[in-house]
Amino acid sequence: MEFAIETKDLVRVFKPSRKLLKRKKNPNGEGGSGEGPVTALDRVTTQIRQGELFGLLGPNGAGKTTLIKILCTLLLPTSGQAWVAGHDISKDPFPIRERINMVSGGETSGYGLLTTRENVWMFSQFYGVNSKVAKARIDELLHIFGLWDKRDAKVRTLSSGQRQKMNMIRGFVTDPDILFLDEPTLGLDVNASRVIREYVEAWVRKQKGKTVLLTTHYMAEADQMCDRIAIIDRGRILACDTPENLKRTIRHDTTFRLEVDTLRSASAFSGMKGVKNFSSKDDASKNTTSLTFILEDESAVSDILSAVQAQGAKIHYLQKSEPTLEDVFISMVGRGLE
Amino acid sequence: MSATVRRQWRTFKWAAWLGWEMDSNWTEPALFIVYSVVKPVAGAFILVLMYIVFAAIGNYRDPAMFSYIYVGNSFFIFVGSTLFGTFQVIQADREWYQTLRYTYISPISYYTYIVGRAASKVAVGGLAVLITLIFGVFVLGVQFQMTLGSVPIFFVGLVLGLFCLVSIGICLAGVSFMTAKHTHGLAEGIPGIFYVFCGVLFPLTALPGWAQSFGRGIPLTYWFDLTRRLILPPNTIDSGLGFFSDLEILALLLASSLIFFLLSLGIFKLGEYMARKAGKIDMTTSY
Amino acid sequence: MSAATVTSRIPHRIRLNLRAVVGRAYPRIVGANREPSWIFFEAILPLLGIAAYVFIYQALANRVLLDPTVSAADKAATVAATNALIGSVVLGGTMIAFWLNVLWSMASQLYWEKEIGNLQLYMMAPMSRMALLGGMAVGGMFMTSVRAITTLVAGVVVFSIVLQVTNPFLLIAVFFATLVALYGMGMTLASLYLLWGREAWHLSALLEEPIFFTSGFYFPAGGLAYVGGWGRVLLTAATAIPATLGLDAMRQLVFPGAWGDKLWIFSPEVELVIILVLGVVFLVLARYALAYLELLARREGRLTSRHQ
Repeated sequence: MEFAIETKDLVRVFKPSRKLLKRKKNPNGEGGSGEGPVTALDRVTTQIRQGELFGLLGPNGAGKTTLIKILCTLLLPTSGQAWVAGHDISKDPFPIRERINMVSGGETSGYGLLTTRENVWMFSQFYGVNSKVAKARIDELLHIFGLWDKRDAKVRTLSSGQRQKMNMIRGFVTDPDILFLDEPTLGLDVNASRVIREYVEAWVRKQKGKTVLLTTHYMAEADQMCDRIAIIDRGRILACDTPENLKRTIRHDTTFRLEVDTLRSASAFSGMKGVKNFSSKDDASKNTTSLTFILEDESAVSDILSAVQAQGAKIHYLQKSEPTLEDVFISMVGRGLE
Repeated sequence: MSATVRRQWRTFKWAAWLGWEMDSNWTEPALFIVYSVVKPVAGAFILVLMYIVFAAIGNYRDPAMFSYIYVGNSFFIFVGSTLFGTFQVIQADREWYQTLRYTYISPISYYTYIVGRAASKVAVGGLAVLITLIFGVFVLGVQFQMTLGSVPIFFVGLVLGLFCLVSIGICLAGVSFMTAKHTHGLAEGIPGIFYVFCGVLFPLTALPGWAQSFGRGIPLTYWFDLTRRLILPPNTIDSGLGFFSDLEILALLLASSLIFFLLSLGIFKLGEYMARKAGKIDMTTSY
Repeated sequence: MSAATVTSRIPHRIRLNLRAVVGRAYPRIVGANREPSWIFFEAILPLLGIAAYVFIYQALANRVLLDPTVSAADKAATVAATNALIGSVVLGGTMIAFWLNVLWSMASQLYWEKEIGNLQLYMMAPMSRMALLGGMAVGGMFMTSVRAITTLVAGVVVFSIVLQVTNPFLLIAVFFATLVALYGMGMTLASLYLLWGREAWHLSALLEEPIFFTSGFYFPAGGLAYVGGWGRVLLTAATAIPATLGLDAMRQLVFPGAWGDKLWIFSPEVELVIILVLGVVFLVLARYALAYLELLARREGRLTSRHQ
């Protein structure tokens, strides 16, 4: 079977600019903290099938956007290879460009003086879409994304949510075979996010051969939409499977969630017997700490409670729960996504 | 120092630092200085060649007129750098860095902030003026003659001239609040007004009557005339202002500068008000 | 890829690139109409700068005319020479519109596009980069032509310039060949913007006055030969800029016999041939420079990062 996307040992290292290095030498200069080479992608190997809605799940700085930029032909890898629609991204970018499109969350594409319709039409022309076809598609998509009443509004007058919907229309108007969505629902309200998710899912499911690579750090989004998910952290893919199978990897473990008074330190839980991994997050407004534990041995709960009480903290609730993707992530990475 | 003055001084200092960083941090400081000087010197060379061509065609040398043109053009570098330094702040912060909205809502005087941002351009412009003049005098034979007694008046004139330029720049900044991104047109066109009507490169008398009257209403006309009187030897060129004494010219410069300062306060406030009313404070107009 | 496949794809590529040209030109034209303030700032105001250069020649001539030691015949010759010089300034001012369009609305525009987040979307699209730049040029041509025509008409009317067009076909050929070569040069310059950020933007700013100077926008460039060895070196270097020879040829064709034919560089025919060669060289160079520098920019991650 032909893969829509395939990567092999993809590495991308960002070297700091000479300017930054120079500033680093100057003790009073700013921006000189820890700017060595950064490995954004570390031997990433993955295969995405045609017709798949594939998720890339990871925290900020995990390497998701770097991978998308490489696959979109905007960035070259330092080493390794990648193919999109059967073409090598390093050697043969133009045939790839005819078959892909990309939408990033929070992007500001186009020109503020053009209307929503005009902006999307302009981008469609860069892909050679027949003008009449483009206009018909734009109108259809404007209706679907609830932007019809803003069709003739200048882009600079759109709200950020409306602008993101326009960007989504820009992504779909060229009818790509492979669509890259980089945090497409970032900062959007619940309704706008829902409209986008539903359309993306329907677009992949109802048409043959359409592929979506979606990056997100919203667990529920990935869980609900994706056929398969790769968990990425610090440039490395830690696991790749269906959401169900990923959750199954920790089925022998137990997940406990606790909310307690703000803890002075969570270090007491590190290396505790029976604790596979855990995450903690303080909520300053409620003066509490939320803890999630992945336990290999359920009896570790009593040690956890003792450690909490030893800090004089009161327990607000304790709950045993079904494993979620977030738990899978905590189990693998040792911290939550946010 | 009162709290208000201290606050204004702090704003100015901080904005001047920011302006310098924005202008210069793309390259080495030495290269930046060279860059800042090459542009105006090349501009001066255009005039030198115009004179040479004219002289070669008619076989007619006119060193007094050449010095008149050259000195006017050298000091005109201040006009370009100060005006551009002030009005481009609005357009750069609004459209390029997209920080205008954040600076604007901070509790500082935006007027002082713009003046501060322009300071580095004025300073670098000053260096370019100096280099152009030195080059003119020692390489191109520009006539230079200045008495010790003229020095105080020269510097008072310089300060007033710059003060006036900043005021005009602020007027343009006020207008910029309402217009699309026309940085280039403004940078080229507005100085053009002064180039033509203020006797910068040629005496006012070369202009038609109505244009001469218009020129006499602009303070820079007096500044350029005063500067040339103080640093060039006496000549037969009819500048159109010969009937005023040096001190009278200085008084006219002072009066007209004050009027322009008040005008700048009004136009800037009006521009701000209208932009807020029309929702244009943080618009982007690139295409 | 077989020969047949290549052939069948050519119309597709042409169609794609033509659509891209139209697509990118559109915002320029529509934008200009929606923000009409540019007419004042970009077309009317610059006239003043040109007028200043005209008045310099007039002021210099006035001094000659007022000098009692100059003979009447020499005064008449000065008037004729000054009129041709003023005409040269107006013609130079007309061509400046195109040069500025190349420099600011095409070459450095790529830097601007990066700053506002569009460049990555352009670079990801399948159209040729030359089509993108061509779209900017065609779109910008509307504003530029308005400015150029305003300058020419205002100059001719206000300063009573007499244009004696001796060979209109050659004049048109020189004009369009100069435009093609200039835009080719702009495309080559634009490639630098893919790799460099503000450095290239400042390079454009830096190039402005020196090129006005060396290309003789405000005086016949042949005058450079009158300032000694360095002037001749500069003049030789300036012939690589299409505007230099283009302007020289056009001046010869509209002011025949001006200044005793002492200030021309070559004959208009020779200049046209050189401009055509320059046009081809710049367009080919642009094609390869854009591809090569895009590759370098992809390697260094410069296509998408802002505020560099």
